[in-house]
Amino acid sequence: MLLSLKKYVKKISLSVYLLISWEIKSQRTLTVGGTNWVLNIPAITEAGTDYAGTFESAANEILLGATVPLVLGSGKVSMHYEANPAWNSNLILNARRTGNGTTSCATCTITGGTTYTNIPLTTDVELFRITAILALAAYTNIPVQLQLTGISVTIPAAAYSSRIVFTISAL
Amino acid sequence: MVKPIFLFGLLLSCKILSQITGNRTVTLTLPVVTLMDVEPAGAISLNYTAPTEAGNAITVPAANTTKWINYTSAITASGAARRITASISQIIPGTDIRIQAAAASGSGGGTLGTPSAQVVLTTAAQTIISGIGGAFTGNGANNGHRLAITLTNNTYADLTARTNTPIVITYTITE
Repeated sequence: MLLSLKKYVKKISLSVYLLISWEIKSQRTLTVGGTNWVLNIPAITEAGTDYAGTFESAANEILLGATVPLVLGSGKVSMHYEANPAWNSNLILNARRTGNGTTSCATCTITGGTTYTNIPLTTDVELFRITAILALAAYTNIPVQLQLTGISVTIPAAAYSSRIVFTISAL
Repeated sequence: MVKPIFLFGLLLSCKILSQITGNRTVTLTLPVVTLMDVEPAGAISLNYTAPTEAGNAITVPAANTTKWINYTSAITASGAARRITASISQIIPGTDIRIQAAAASGSGGGTLGTPSAQVVLTTAAQTIISGIGGAFTGNGANNGHRLAITLTNNTYADLTARTNTPIVITYTITE
């Protein structure tokens, strides 16, 4: 009786292990590297003038790593921003993909997002998508550049911060 | 006891490996800005013209409208609006120096100031433009508030002949 109970427990454990393994392999994953973007806005020195309204980060300010399992076939990376804690809606954030990153999968593709896309508040918008063909699509160091427009003295003087949230999901 | 720990570890690994979201921050600071100047640079001359007919008064000069006030103003959300004052370094007896700022024009934007009515300048600062919020006027002549500076007689008996009397008009942007 005790022996059969032990076998039963072992079977259950094995099943859970297999389920977890399958779950791991069947998940899209995303890692967000690179650096946080701290803008140093040049001071205005001439009365009557405003800030240059547009600023760009380094071309590889953010480095994304994304994997799409063969079983799922494809995935998209989306983004939105959140005030962290204070932001002004006149400050417009855009992002673009400036490269393909690195992958060992010759048949996989990464498409979209090479021109600036507005990053909306709260609601996700697609930046790019990855398609896995006959292999696990694993990309690392996908460079993303940020752009900030709308900087003006007409916006109240204050410290502003926002959090750009990247998410990988099904198409 | 070992199995639950093992399973917990696996679950944790699963959670880590299946991360589907991440973030980076963007930060910037917009400072308080208070800049003002008068364009174009340089002095102006206002000269009375002597009469050529006995019995006539001297002729006051035409208003000078070559100067423009430019400013850039950034204030906090709860910050007080700015104003611009003007004063002169000395008063010429028998003469008023008047100034009138026009409504802002040109390439500026934001909460631009509102001109006051014409002011007779004295050595005490008087407001000529008020209600300036976060704003910029544009730079140079033909941007901002055009100034009309005039000379008028007040008490003719107080007028005395004089040459090249420099008067400094001081403009100040303040809260």
